[in-house]
Amino acid sequence: MARVRLAPRSPKPQVAKPLATAPFIAPAVLVVVALMYLPFLYSVYISFTSYNGLGAPRWDGIANYVQLFHDPEMADAIRNTAVWVAGGVVVPVVLGLGLAVLTYGMRHGPWYRLPFLLPYAMSGAGIAVIWGFILQPGGAFGDILKLLGIPGSSTAWLSYWPDSTLAMVVASAWQATGVNCLLFVVGLQAVPVAVLEAAEIDGAKAFTKFVRVTLPLLRPMTIVVVGLAIVGTLKTFDIVWVMTQGGPGYTSTTLATAMYSQTFVANSYGYGAAIAVLLTVVTGLASATYLKQQVQVGAAKR
Amino acid sequence: MNRLGWAGVLRRAVLIAAGLAWLVPIYLLVVNAVRPSAAFTGTNEWTLPSSFGLFENVATAEQASGLAGSLASTALYSIVSPALAVVIGALAGFGVSVLQPRRPFFWFMVAFGGAVFPAQMLLVPLFVAYAQLNLYNTPQGLVIVYTALSVPLAALVLRNFFGGVPPHLFQAAQIDGASLWTTFWRIYMPVAWSALVAVFILEFTFIWNDLLFGLTLASSNSVRPVMPALASLQSAYGGSTIPVVLAGGIVASLPPVVVFLAAQRFFARGLTLSQVAEA
Repeated sequence: MARVRLAPRSPKPQVAKPLATAPFIAPAVLVVVALMYLPFLYSVYISFTSYNGLGAPRWDGIANYVQLFHDPEMADAIRNTAVWVAGGVVVPVVLGLGLAVLTYGMRHGPWYRLPFLLPYAMSGAGIAVIWGFILQPGGAFGDILKLLGIPGSSTAWLSYWPDSTLAMVVASAWQATGVNCLLFVVGLQAVPVAVLEAAEIDGAKAFTKFVRVTLPLLRPMTIVVVGLAIVGTLKTFDIVWVMTQGGPGYTSTTLATAMYSQTFVANSYGYGAAIAVLLTVVTGLASATYLKQQVQVGAAKR
Repeated sequence: MNRLGWAGVLRRAVLIAAGLAWLVPIYLLVVNAVRPSAAFTGTNEWTLPSSFGLFENVATAEQASGLAGSLASTALYSIVSPALAVVIGALAGFGVSVLQPRRPFFWFMVAFGGAVFPAQMLLVPLFVAYAQLNLYNTPQGLVIVYTALSVPLAALVLRNFFGGVPPHLFQAAQIDGASLWTTFWRIYMPVAWSALVAVFILEFTFIWNDLLFGLTLASSNSVRPVMPALASLQSAYGGSTIPVVLAGGIVASLPPVVVFLAAQRFFARGLTLSQVAEA
């Protein structure tokens, strides 16, 4: 127990003895170490072994990693993950930005935004169920195409690549647009009204104002939104697993679904772990590169 | 509406059209989940159902995939785990930012660092360890894993929150002779109420919507959470009709959507990190 002090002596007094502090910090540290750090390290180890869940893992060197580069399924997984990142960054971010700019400061703005927010709290599995139904051959999506006179009304969207992956990217954009819009609205709230008004007084056209004033001021929030989109889409699993299980064959698989099916369908734990390590490295590199580039661009502008 | 001018009218028209387009999938979901299974022809998905078959469809979904058991266990996981995680995270946040041990940032990073690992890195070891420890396909096993997954965010938010609490609050409690436990439970936890609720709701949503860990660590109808149950209902082998699958989708999706929309105002309040300084 710390002794009573009548006046603080130093700006950062160490207020409790280490033994008194430990019970507060220990539960969090123990839980996280036991269920996250140790599994993480064990996955790294398993990725260098051959292991099917029975018996003991057998040391296999870098064989799993060599296989990664010769496996046509991995080529598809990497290609599709790239499509997911590109589509997931462009479509919902641009739509979210557009909606935010259109509704910001408008009377009843939150009501106009509500339809876009409704899907946000839904699960990937729920989204997959709805869109799996809509995208059936001759389903609701086909009906809309027919109504608009666009060919493809009886296409089986999920049965062929690249339609399958593109259709799932659209389903995911339907979910993600609303929250991006909300984040951009928060970003716009940080833009001083005076700046926008000054641009208007100077006679800036709406588009010029958007490109020259609004976008640069939204930069900090754009960095956050795009960063979240990159990291989120790299790990795409739920929608793909429920809609196509990565199929037909493995044509619509992603890194995350390939990891799951190699591990728990094909029982190749070691190879699955190697895919997980690859996913970790890709996610880490993408985040680091992205942040570094953003910092450099930010510094160059100053 | 003359004041709006053409640009204002156009803007509203675009927003309303886009909003309606966004609601089409929800319309299709509701209309066809309500439609009696036998009345679904495969081409009448746009029309309103002539009679109300939602409950019947939910009952069929329950028979096909044990939805009721999944819902009950999911409710258990997504309430108990965030509650535990919020307390564990608050303890760590209090320990790190109020008690100021040696190297507080290091300990914080240990607790928070787990958040950066992709879930895929945890699956195989957890699956193997759970099988050996008899935690596979048990409710306690899922509560434990969801709690651990929820701790980093709780630690982050509560550390920042307690960091914004004026230190004289702690000093006053010490002068009054309160123990560290009393100070934590009676003074700091009540002050952090809105942050605790905000984190709880985010994690409730996350756990309710989880597919991956439920798929990996459970198998039976009564233990498996609701999203893996929905996935099995959806799979082609399930043999369920579309109204049944969609009814299952509605039942599984509704709780987090309702909770999230109802609790929106908490986020603005609870996640404003230094609001206590003004209180």
